[in-house]
Amino acid sequence: MTSWGDRFNQLSGRTRIVVCRLFIHLAGREVAPLLGLLNRVAYQAVEAGDQVAGDLTLLGAGLVDVCQALLQYDTYWQSAANEGDVFWDEGEAGDYVTELFTDSAQRYGSGLDMDDLANPGDPDEPLAIPITQHVIVMLTIAYEGQIPQLEGNLGDINALRTALTAIINLYHNGILRAIEIHYSPTQLGDELTTDQLILYYPELVPL
Amino acid sequence: MFRQFVAWSIILTLACTTVACTSLPSANAPSETTSPQASVSGSSASPQAPGTINLANGKYPVQQASYDDIDGNYTLMLLNTPPGQPAVTETTNLQMARLTAEQLQAGEKSYLNVEQGQAVLYLTEDFKIEYVHNVTENQVNSQTGQQEVVVVRQEPSFWTPFAGALAGQAIGSLLFTPHYYFPPVYQSGRGLVGYGGYGRTYGQAVDRYQTRYQSPPSPVRNQTLRTSGQLRAPAAATRRANQRTNPTQTNRPTGSGFGNSNLQRSNSPRPRTSRPSGFGTGSSRPRIRSGGRRR
Repeated sequence: MTSWGDRFNQLSGRTRIVVCRLFIHLAGREVAPLLGLLNRVAYQAVEAGDQVAGDLTLLGAGLVDVCQALLQYDTYWQSAANEGDVFWDEGEAGDYVTELFTDSAQRYGSGLDMDDLANPGDPDEPLAIPITQHVIVMLTIAYEGQIPQLEGNLGDINALRTALTAIINLYHNGILRAIEIHYSPTQLGDELTTDQLILYYPELVPL
Repeated sequence: MFRQFVAWSIILTLACTTVACTSLPSANAPSETTSPQASVSGSSASPQAPGTINLANGKYPVQQASYDDIDGNYTLMLLNTPPGQPAVTETTNLQMARLTAEQLQAGEKSYLNVEQGQAVLYLTEDFKIEYVHNVTENQVNSQTGQQEVVVVRQEPSFWTPFAGALAGQAIGSLLFTPHYYFPPVYQSGRGLVGYGGYGRTYGQAVDRYQTRYQSPPSPVRNQTLRTSGQLRAPAAATRRANQRTNPTQTNRPTGSGFGNSNLQRSNSPRPRTSRPSGFGTGSSRPRIRSGGRRR
């Protein structure tokens, strides 16, 4: 639904930029391996990011991998949330993207345990590696134009599936302007508990 | 009554079509990439150098110019600016060209020409642009644990884009038409001469620079990949196994994140009020975007 303001902006030649964030929460014993893929994408981005910044091609390929993996794990989707805004001014869109990054990053910690660093544990203690029952992935993207599949309430499984497919298509159409991927927990061995989910991700709605 | 209604609706329609058909005054219209549906304006511009200069159309003699390589920002000290407009202006969207031989013979000095919001600097051969080189470092912000590009110190130098030695190069007559230029790679202790990349569009200039030096120019490079969590943490901490049998529930979960964008940021402190165009799972409730609601 285009309002008069939107039509006016469109006629005056401004670009419509949409910024949106997607939370997907997966639950079950079998979701932990997803972290392997997420870490691989992350390290590839960090390796390349130091050389060619501002280039979304590599990040976009990583995003596609993440979306495809999420689609494969759709039986484990438990809850989700999404939010977004339409902008006609690139500066505002850029600021919002930065704001979303900071907000997403504040949902988790760096995992540097000061106690462990100060008092290194007894190396002979038996190793206990808990398998996390929950994984959450936060995707933030910005794109030009209008994609109705992403601009609505994605609180149900079918809408979410369509949205992830739309994101994959966005990459191939080449109109992505920003990509952010956050995930918690960090790696195999770290846990995301139900309590932490409720505390740090209050906006999730069950699917 | 009916006639009044007809009269008003005609006036309204006329007003709408007038707005649709004329291109808006470019003083406030940001230069954008042309999107498929908005081809009305017809102004093609670079994808990464938005922002029109904050100056009325006209020709202004240039006293001094300076270039900051952290973001590619030009600061220009101009003469004869109209009253009410600042004599010092800044922009990242600046094209340059050399004054032709005829213009030089006629005694023209370097000047800035602003037309339709696009600024072009016409320079003499030996015009020196002050060059501020920023020495940057990747540091971890102790509060957020995130990687940041921090300026450690600045080194002043200068840049002569159109120094005489270049006149004989293949670029030839292109020198006299406005192009986007990037300075060559910074060398401390020596002034910079010539250019590292050039192009009719900002993107072309970036590409040519990249082809020459196998790396993007500084302003583009400084839009770094943001990371959070453990992605760039010291290796010692990441290899530990979780040996705590009783983790406290109020601890934050671990997580990692990374992202990048090629959107300009306005960095203006904007009050985040609920926008009518927002959407999402939470949008049925009135949304107040403040830090408080998440905790």
